[in-house]
Amino acid sequence: MLEDFISGKKSLFTTGVHTELRAQENKQRRVTLVQGNLTANARLETAGVSARVYKNGVYGFSSMAECTGAAAEAVLKAATENALFMDKHIQKGKDNFPSIAAGSTPLNKVICDTEQKRYIEFVKEVDAYISEKYPNLASRSVVLSADSMEKIICTSDGYDGHVTLPRTYIYLFLNSESTSGVPLELYKPIGGYGNFDDIFKAPSQVYADIDALYETLMQKREGVYAEAGYKTVVLGGILSGMLAHEAVGHTVEADLVLGGSVAGPALHKQVASDLVTMVDFAHTALGEEAPLPVYLDDEGTPAEDAVLIQDGILQGYMNNRESAEHFGVKPQGNARAYGFSDEPLIRMRNTAVLPGKDKLEDIIASVEDGYYLTNTNNGQADTTGEFMFGVSMGYEIKNGKLGRAILDTTISGVAFDMLKTVDMVSDDMVWSSSGFCGKKQPMPVGMGGPALRCKVMIGGR
Amino acid sequence: MEDIRSIAQITGEALKQEGAEKAQYTVTFKETHEFNVDGGEFSLFRTLFDNSLSITAFKNQKKGSAFTNKLDAAAIAGTVKECLASADSGIADSAYDIAPDQGKECFREGSYEPDADKLFERTRELMEEIRTNHPKIVMEQMIVSHVKSHMLYQNTNGTEFEYFWGEYSISMMYSAHEGDRTTSFFSSGVNTDKLDKPFIELGSFEKDLCDVEAQLTTVPVEGKFEGVAVLTPSSLGSFIYSAISNFVADSVILEKTSIWLDKLNTKVADESITVSIAPTDSRISCSERFTHDGFKSEDYNIIEDGVLKSFMLSLYVANKSGFERAGNSSFALIMKNGNTPYADMIKNIKKGIIVGRFSGGQPGTNGDFSGIAKNSFLIEDGEIKGAVSETMINGNLAEMLNNVVAVSQETVEDGNSVLPYIAVDKIVISGK
Repeated sequence: MLEDFISGKKSLFTTGVHTELRAQENKQRRVTLVQGNLTANARLETAGVSARVYKNGVYGFSSMAECTGAAAEAVLKAATENALFMDKHIQKGKDNFPSIAAGSTPLNKVICDTEQKRYIEFVKEVDAYISEKYPNLASRSVVLSADSMEKIICTSDGYDGHVTLPRTYIYLFLNSESTSGVPLELYKPIGGYGNFDDIFKAPSQVYADIDALYETLMQKREGVYAEAGYKTVVLGGILSGMLAHEAVGHTVEADLVLGGSVAGPALHKQVASDLVTMVDFAHTALGEEAPLPVYLDDEGTPAEDAVLIQDGILQGYMNNRESAEHFGVKPQGNARAYGFSDEPLIRMRNTAVLPGKDKLEDIIASVEDGYYLTNTNNGQADTTGEFMFGVSMGYEIKNGKLGRAILDTTISGVAFDMLKTVDMVSDDMVWSSSGFCGKKQPMPVGMGGPALRCKVMIGGR
Repeated sequence: MEDIRSIAQITGEALKQEGAEKAQYTVTFKETHEFNVDGGEFSLFRTLFDNSLSITAFKNQKKGSAFTNKLDAAAIAGTVKECLASADSGIADSAYDIAPDQGKECFREGSYEPDADKLFERTRELMEEIRTNHPKIVMEQMIVSHVKSHMLYQNTNGTEFEYFWGEYSISMMYSAHEGDRTTSFFSSGVNTDKLDKPFIELGSFEKDLCDVEAQLTTVPVEGKFEGVAVLTPSSLGSFIYSAISNFVADSVILEKTSIWLDKLNTKVADESITVSIAPTDSRISCSERFTHDGFKSEDYNIIEDGVLKSFMLSLYVANKSGFERAGNSSFALIMKNGNTPYADMIKNIKKGIIVGRFSGGQPGTNGDFSGIAKNSFLIEDGEIKGAVSETMINGNLAEMLNNVVAVSQETVEDGNSVLPYIAVDKIVISGK
């Protein structure tokens, strides 16, 4: 466990300016088997201390790759000097942040390390199951990835705390060819928040997922190209989660709003059908622990949910303390840094469209001619809300019934236009949390959603 | 903390003591000075002091890797133990190896020490330039930094590489706004080892800013047609990166899924196409000088006059596949320019599109791609008609390389790559 060598340095904080001091350790363990070849067998650890000082509207930041009291003192000094340098040259003359009541966030989860040998044995068994049961695959890969962040946070005003975020996943990649010779790949991550032993007991627990993934791949082998055009589709939960994150979530990050995103002029306006509500959950979602719970952010703000869209109306943005002050709202704990040497940025946590009242089978039955899109392999969007998602799995819907599988395609649209076409929302939802969001720094995030009936452009071939 | 040589020595001795049969390790000391601009205003100045140790060790033909930034003797001993424990648990493979003795060499590149005051002034000058001459631009974020790095690589075969480098980098993400109209965001970046010129004169900054402002005026794209796509240096880089990942990189050769697996020394592209990976080229700033496997980096051609000359392989996959390893492990991309002036390239196009940025997924292993043409313009009868919106392009990477109709004389050098504009035919362009 990361030792606390920084709490005693709070007495060195400069009076009258906001100061954050953070000790942090990140760990990554990775094992990759490609066709049975061990191509990655690595353990990575980075640890250090950073300080950030906010003075008159500008920040100074410094970090050092050492976990010592002397390093904490050195980064405090350097961050203060950097803030003074900026203030001298820029002279924004802004006030300090409104204060947050002091408090302390207790450790949420102890990080437990696992020997590399156990990871390798686990992956080898999973790989052996695939190669023995499904020898006709064009290729296969099995990846085990465990990563964790552990932070001790001290702030001049706000909460202090000791927080962690460990994740462990097995990624399965299966490759085949369609009957017409088109190469096909499907992948599935299995795992989530927690240490390896919290999630995985035995390799056999993923065999059902392997079988299901193989079955889906075989359906895709017989797949056809989707017909291009503006179509009625049922977006499965993985895709609606990606929509929530990529196409809406980024546009309502307050720094991107200030940078000119489409959400700036849309506040308090209708941006979606009134069936759509979207929330960035902090640590608890719909009565359960969120996929990647965040209890305290790196500015000392206790994390709480940020309601982004309520019944189709854009209600607010995700903020850090500076942008919250700008917009005159309360910060809700979205300022997060990835590594010890990273400054906190406005980041999503667990961003989701909330479930509605319709049954998935009724939604599918209501579509005369369209597609049910169940999986994606990538997604991109920009601050206009224009998005493009790769669709790696889906099915035709003809006369209310699921038909043939479709080959890889893309969907695209403009989020605030497309969300207005949502006219049915399923009463269940799917979460995913295995990826990293990229925005100057990587960041583990959760995203989720129900099935949505809506209209989008589908790419065809 | 110990000095860099003492850390390397402690690591080497610990590896020997723990029974590593072969090993390589790199100690890096890095210092960063960085200014951030957010929403058009200076926001942050940060200085980072990073150190790290990366180890790869082999025992009984098994391999383990470890990375840490804790560099006291006890921590190094712990990391070495973990690395060898990982190797012990691994799978024996005769293809694992490192370079034979390459001798000892020291490299020095760029401006090792930063001039933070000058860097700040150049940044302020760039912001002022943009405010004055590109008033429609909203700067979402600008990051300007200097990184200095001192690396020491050693391996158990006797090789030692020491590398001192320092460079400045400027990256910007921005969009244009006028009334209710707004463009997609665009990113521009340059790496350089000098501060002798105003930043606006570097790379394609000025043209990129003009183009994004021009994208405020859009024209409709009706229906679906096959036409010529002009790939700007920026979008060409991402297409070439995809082609490399799909056709010549380690993973696709190891999995045998590359459609170029049996195409070495045969024609895979139009003869106007020569693609090199050249970290030592003088136009590339502070790139790799030794490979991940411990070889001295050498420039090489992937495609030469349309003929596939090399895969992009590590020593491991070279040993597994029987093909030759690549001359370096960088991505310092250079594409040879052609003889068509850019203006003539546009004039000769009946109907097509200039693709400024491609927003699409990783193309399938057969090279099929599909995505949105962002920051892009419609061309009709040799004239640029206006920017397009919600327009998709489809094609195939391998076919695209064979359907090149022109390569520009002009290139853009951004310190990371040197790329021309290329015009490729038979791209499917679909409007809403």
